Amino acid sequence: MLPIKQGQAAIAFVCVILGIMLAVQFRTTQDIRSSVPFQRIEDLSQRLSQTEKERDVLQKQLHELREKPGLETASREMEIVKMGAGVTPVQGPGLSVIIDDSKRQSKPGENPNLYLIHDDDILKVINELWAAGAEAISINEQRLIASSEIRCAGPTLSVNNTRYSPPYEIKVIGDVKTLENALKMRGGVIETLQFWGIQVAIKKQESLVIPAYKGTFRFELAKPVKDGGQ
Amino acid sequence: MVLPVTGLIIGLIIGSLFPISIPVQYAQFMSVALLAALDSVFGGLRAGAEEKFDNTIFITGFFTNALLAASLVYVGERLGIDLYYVALLAFGLRIFQNLAIIRRYFLKK
Repeated sequence: MLPIKQGQAAIAFVCVILGIMLAVQFRTTQDIRSSVPFQRIEDLSQRLSQTEKERDVLQKQLHELREKPGLETASREMEIVKMGAGVTPVQGPGLSVIIDDSKRQSKPGENPNLYLIHDDDILKVINELWAAGAEAISINEQRLIASSEIRCAGPTLSVNNTRYSPPYEIKVIGDVKTLENALKMRGGVIETLQFWGIQVAIKKQESLVIPAYKGTFRFELAKPVKDGGQ
Repeated sequence: MVLPVTGLIIGLIIGSLFPISIPVQYAQFMSVALLAALDSVFGGLRAGAEEKFDNTIFITGFFTNALLAASLVYVGERLGIDLYYVALLAFGLRIFQNLAIIRRYFLKK
């Protein structure tokens, strides 16, 4: 039926080898598909070891806390709560960011407001800093706490009910690199501000002191919820 | 034609029965060698159809082609040249050519 007369045996022999190769190649390709990429494995194992380390540290902490209940832990807790509330001055590495109005003259017909700093500019910077893991922030010696306001009061800025005029100095404690990168991000806050000629100077500092909140706390309406009360 | 096909089926069965597997980094060489082998087989079929078949040429051609293709790809990888695609293209073209000639012979009969 077919015109092939010569070499049937040789071709058949070669076809056996070809068949073996085909089967092996088929299996290998399936192996590649089903196996997890090498890099992913490395990535996951690294994350696992990091998480394990974190867990060990936390376990140790838990152990310590269980070991010595009483004054020492209570006072340490107290200190952390105070730092969080902003009633103790803190120090550490961080940035000082000085923001000043634009020196550029507004062209006739243009809104001169665009070249001035507003509360929302400052708020954006502060927001970016908190997002970048800032631990404490102050504006012109006013510690920012949970109830701090930042708002325009005429040509000045009111922070903690104290008024300031530009330049504003924002001091922040946190991871210097992260904070700086967060601010200088392409298309980020600083770039937007500089587009309007607003002057921003970022200084890295090994150690800076952020003062405590000097006001008082008043709670007239809010009352703590008793245990179990929902 | 029955003999080659049965040979191929026997090979496939042997290959799937034995748990041989190629390491992932050599899979590329294997695929080029496979293509070279395929090319040789079609070349052999064509020569058989043309009645110009030579046993030694066919067998040596089969092994040297496969080995040469794999080593060429290996050298290319070392030098940073993608000879893999060159081998693919060359063998692919030849396979199609051989197939076309074989088909013509089939039709003539």
